[in-house]
Amino acid sequence: MAAFLRSKCSSVGRTLMGGLGNNLFGAVNSSVETVSRPSHCDPIFQQIRTFIQMRTNLKVVDNSGAKRVMCIQSLRGKKGARLGDTIIGSVKEAQPRGKVKKGDVVYGVVVRAAMKRGRNDGSEIQFDDNAIVLVNNKGELIGTRVFGPVPHELRKKKHLKILALAEHIV
Amino acid sequence: MRLEKCWFCSSTIYPGHGIQFVRNDAKIFRFCRSKCHKNFKMKRNPRKVKWTKAYRCLHGKDMTQDSTFEFERKRNRPERYDRNVTAQTLKAIPLITKIRHERHKKHITERQKQGKTKQRERDAKELEQDIQMLPKKDTMLSTQKTKVVVKVSQQQTEENLMEE
Repeated sequence: MAAFLRSKCSSVGRTLMGGLGNNLFGAVNSSVETVSRPSHCDPIFQQIRTFIQMRTNLKVVDNSGAKRVMCIQSLRGKKGARLGDTIIGSVKEAQPRGKVKKGDVVYGVVVRAAMKRGRNDGSEIQFDDNAIVLVNNKGELIGTRVFGPVPHELRKKKHLKILALAEHIV
Repeated sequence: MRLEKCWFCSSTIYPGHGIQFVRNDAKIFRFCRSKCHKNFKMKRNPRKVKWTKAYRCLHGKDMTQDSTFEFERKRNRPERYDRNVTAQTLKAIPLITKIRHERHKKHITERQKQGKTKQRERDAKELEQDIQMLPKKDTMLSTQKTKVVVKVSQQQTEENLMEE
């Protein structure tokens, strides 16, 4: 009986190890594929068109003083943030004498996302880059100007101040 | 409900179709399908891609100037609603489309006529140059094969059968 159980356990162990080995091999292959992807000089190609998740670098498009923010938490959904969602980020690059400095943890509203987003009319909208506007924990803007195009879907999310300050609404 | 035009191939984009790409200078590019979007991302020029409307118009394949195109012009200023005008417009739409199609067909036939005349000229020139390669009439008559009828007697055929 004991011998029978031992043989069973060993076979189970082998199958588990085999499965793990396969997965590991698959993971290695996938990583190689991602590394060997050709890099183009065009920013359209460089932008990975997926959710804004942890460690995503975003451009700041207001005059709050920050230049680049890294997402550390998405406040919407399992996968990540999309156009119009709020995120928490860490300031990675900032202008001198700005309202925020490097290392600050800030809230931000995603005003442009490279991932496609469906609209009410059935079409899809997609931007050139991932960009945010910094807000405080109450949702009030830190900056006083917003640069570049922003989508009109922000009206639904109650970010009317951003729409009022925006250069272009698309 | 507004019917947009595809930036790449100039085809009509109906509601619920296509992708809008917004560049950082706020220019909007609308694409009817992923084929056009991918071609745009590959930085292809629609004037050089043969299946696009831009290429066809540029190379004289399609009509460029016609009075029926005026009706399809984009109007950003809304018109005051008038029931009679609306009814007339709805009646006129299929008629205008029909006229445009007929004119388009005519344009194509006119375009093909030039090619046919050029082809005829080329054929005539070739005939003049290589006339000596054609066989002459009298030689053709002499070389015709004449049928030879051979009469075989009944006895011979029977003997052959017996031998077999």
